[in-house]
Amino acid sequence: MKNRYISCKICESVNLKRDGEIYCRVCKNRITQSKSNSLNSAWAMLITAILFYIIANVYPILVIDKFGIISSNTILEGVIVLWEEGSYPIAIIIFIASVFVPLLKFFLILYILINYKKPRVGSRKMDQSKLYHITEIIGPWSMVDVFVVSILAGVVHVGSVKITAGVGATAFVLMVFFTMLSAMSIDIRLIKEGKDSD
Amino acid sequence: MEPNLDELIICRRCETLQKRVELPKKKVAKCIECNEVLYRNIEDSFNKGLAFSITSLILFIIANSFPIITVLITGQINALTIPSMIYSLYNEDFFVVGSIVLVVLVIAPLSVMLSYIIVGVFIKLKIFKSLTRHLIAFLVISKSWEMIDIFTVSILVALVKLFGYAEIHFGLSAVALVLFVIVDIFVLKNIKPVELWTYYSREYCG
Repeated sequence: MKNRYISCKICESVNLKRDGEIYCRVCKNRITQSKSNSLNSAWAMLITAILFYIIANVYPILVIDKFGIISSNTILEGVIVLWEEGSYPIAIIIFIASVFVPLLKFFLILYILINYKKPRVGSRKMDQSKLYHITEIIGPWSMVDVFVVSILAGVVHVGSVKITAGVGATAFVLMVFFTMLSAMSIDIRLIKEGKDSD
Repeated sequence: MEPNLDELIICRRCETLQKRVELPKKKVAKCIECNEVLYRNIEDSFNKGLAFSITSLILFIIANSFPIITVLITGQINALTIPSMIYSLYNEDFFVVGSIVLVVLVIAPLSVMLSYIIVGVFIKLKIFKSLTRHLIAFLVISKSWEMIDIFTVSILVALVKLFGYAEIHFGLSAVALVLFVIVDIFVLKNIKPVELWTYYSREYCG
């Protein structure tokens, strides 16, 4: 009985579930994508995001040109520099936002994608929905590092000292973008459907 | 017997199906499973939202017109505004970073505020029903790409990095930006799609 209903993502109104494509009765937007399409695109986005994450960590995110001497920082080097300077809280924030949160998001999405088919009982299903919700909230906070680099690059360009963004910044911003897309293309309702359709 | 679909609601967080109840004034309905706020009955919530989106639009324009911080390094002054920051990213050929920053800091917030205002006017005048429908859908999607609050936190982090090397002054826009973030967190990010659609169907159909 419970699973005859599906909610629209755009307007959150309740619709009756049918086979095939459903268009929301209130806002007329399409509600369902076929299950395999949604999963495939989630996988594709996730793999792309992971590749960009690796690139973002290898290449410098920040390039400093001080009196002609060029030095560059990767994300981790940046965190280490902050730590050595004694700005522990900021170092921790940057570490969590740029290194830990993306990894956490990857693992959560992987977990959901791998497990979605398995039958599950009420409490575990709830946990998954909650996990998904947490990833949606913390995801955008990875952008902190990109914003910081953009601000520094925007402000520090006097004659002798010049800060510019590095290749890592481009990779990082694409990583955030694709992780968000991946999370969006996982339909949270698939988690639920996995149980009922078996 | 077939229950009326309008009387049901599915929690956006835990997907639990539950029945909608008529709320007394100033009360909120919460999910029985996860305590997420499902919908509220605030007097004039739509009009208040409209007023606040005009407020935030004004704050947003101020925040983008004047320097947020000015930085003095080795005798030279540099001012930070969101447009100048994006311009310098493009100038250094960082098109991808520049474009994504442009979307999350300028286009997405503007879309949310402008669509809310336009939707408000259309609904009040009861015109352009189908355009309004598309605009509300657009608003709901734009909402999740807007990151001004994260940007504001990033300014603080950047200040810590600059601290030893430069003299820093806060500009007029810093105040506007903080006020914008407050309105943004409490009003714009708090827009419940379900309330908008209830209002939409009530005004056009009932």
